[in-house]
Amino acid sequence: MADRPVLEVHDLHVTFRTENGLVPAVDGIDFAVAPGRTLAIVGESGSGKSVSSAAVMGLLPANADVKGEVLLDGRELVGLPADELRAIRGNDIALVFQDALSALNPYYTVGWQVAEAYRLHHSVSKKEARRRAVELLDLVGIPGAARRAGNYPHEFSGGMRQRVVIAMALVNNPKVLIADEPTTALDVTVQAQIMRLLADVQAEFGTALVLISHDLGVVAETADDVLVMYAGRAAERGTVRDLFHRAAHPYSLGLLGAVPRVDVPPRPRLATIPGTPPSPGSITTGCPFQPRCAYAERVGERCVTERPELTPRPGEGDHEAACHLGRRPADA
Amino acid sequence: MPDLAWFVVRRLAAAILVMLALSLAVYLIFYALPADPAHLACGKPCTPDRLEQARHFMQLDQSTLQQYLNFLKGVFAGRTFGEGTAAVHCNAPCFGYSFPLARPVTTLIIERLPVTASIALGAAVLWLLIGVSLGVVAALNRGRLLDRLAVGFALVGVASPSFLVGLLAILVFGFWLNMVPVNGYVPFTESPVDWAWHLITPWLVLALIQAAAYIRLTRAQMLEELSLDHITTARAKGAGESRVVLRHGLRGALVPIVTLFGLDLGGLLGGAILTEKVFSMQGLGELLLSAVGQLDVAVVVGTTLFSAFLIILANLLVDIVHGALDPRVSHG
Repeated sequence: MADRPVLEVHDLHVTFRTENGLVPAVDGIDFAVAPGRTLAIVGESGSGKSVSSAAVMGLLPANADVKGEVLLDGRELVGLPADELRAIRGNDIALVFQDALSALNPYYTVGWQVAEAYRLHHSVSKKEARRRAVELLDLVGIPGAARRAGNYPHEFSGGMRQRVVIAMALVNNPKVLIADEPTTALDVTVQAQIMRLLADVQAEFGTALVLISHDLGVVAETADDVLVMYAGRAAERGTVRDLFHRAAHPYSLGLLGAVPRVDVPPRPRLATIPGTPPSPGSITTGCPFQPRCAYAERVGERCVTERPELTPRPGEGDHEAACHLGRRPADA
Repeated sequence: MPDLAWFVVRRLAAAILVMLALSLAVYLIFYALPADPAHLACGKPCTPDRLEQARHFMQLDQSTLQQYLNFLKGVFAGRTFGEGTAAVHCNAPCFGYSFPLARPVTTLIIERLPVTASIALGAAVLWLLIGVSLGVVAALNRGRLLDRLAVGFALVGVASPSFLVGLLAILVFGFWLNMVPVNGYVPFTESPVDWAWHLITPWLVLALIQAAAYIRLTRAQMLEELSLDHITTARAKGAGESRVVLRHGLRGALVPIVTLFGLDLGGLLGGAILTEKVFSMQGLGELLLSAVGQLDVAVVVGTTLFSAFLIILANLLVDIVHGALDPRVSHG
């Protein structure tokens, strides 16, 4: 935590203008990530985690309104002219996608695609860009990189394709790497390889990593800090130990409880959080998690009438949770 | 590449079989007609004696099967009608002999082909440019005024018969405005400028009508392509909009466009009947049309087979190009 954050997001709001009116997707979140550190953003589908990363990259469709601050090395990105943003995208901030097969263009060789990412930000010859692409493909562990650079995406396995996507993201040595569910489409052993690769890269280049995931196992192993999102808002944030040992939000506890464990005798059914997440903005008063919360009755009226703000909780660093329950749920 | 060579060989073999079957079908259909071509050849007064003579000379007195075999023999070895000084030779490849025109069908096709090819190729370039660019513009402006204009233009194009548009164009640009010649064909070798000047109106008329399908196809394909994940990847790499749309979007939309283009062009090279008629150009379509009027069966069979050959050839070329355009397609 000694380093200044390279990426800071303050009070980010994203609203989509649709035919059915304004639909909020992200409703005021803050996070920051320092060089060499990993921030995990955790939440169910629709909690706004992917929209947040797209907002940081300036990749949202034209019907999205973004408010708040996105600071890269102190430079405001929100509202930046398109060409200045383009110079940053892929160069200072790069994205690793969930599904490497659809993220790669089927009509070009992987070498071309990695080289393209390099040439978009460096005025070099095609040959030089190609050399750099092969270098990166080799770095991410593609055997016979020089030869494989001439292959098309469909000629690679899922894990190898994800390595190509990572090579493409790293080719310009970005300060920030945003990985949106980078291992969801892969099987478990390959998942571990890819996460190790990301950790190695991070250690070597001091890249700040924003890991978007719903896989708490991956989060526990790789993240330094965690942001738990629920219905477009932050439910809890803190260090990874804060979350796993001192979770203060009933939702975080629910997520942790839903992870199958090998050290606990198996139950007939996996534990789940009852109910479904509300769409962001559909709950305007009170706590968005209240309808699904096991502790809401104990707290009473407040959960229905008053929206909880993030308040400090005991922990290592800036551990905060947005819950009216004063004590840790486990002790309540 | 041996894959491709083997593919072409197999397809050519199949094409020959299709041509044989097709020629037999065409032969049977036209020779089943109640009309007697010998009637036209025997002159007036047509005594039964002379009719029989004409029939024998034209080899129409043989069985239909024998006539078909004669036709096949002519294709490979040439054939001779009659004997002695009155004999008429038709050198291989002989696709029949036109008695009314007193020339081998092969010669007629070779004479007429440049006219039709000039019309078809020029129009094809125009409609491809117009159709694809308007389709891209429509897709990029989906739901807005430009989209509506392009789609409306396509609708008009689809609904307009070429003879009507052709006649209107002649009336307006030829007679009222007196800008362009209204008929006739000047060979390219004679004067390239006059060639183009005489062809400009038929080109535009054909292009206007054909472009419609390309606008719709390009628009639909582009909308599909631009919604794919790898387009987001291209943006995330820092590619500019024009690069995203053309290098990444249009590249994927190209395959079905090229397919349609190949088949359309193949069909049109076999004769642009209405356009040739309206603009009084002596192309293959006009040859076929007048042959039908004169019961010149040899010409009808010959030109029909030639058109079929072009379409089969276009199909083969489209399949080969398809493999070159889409690396996922295998010809194995």
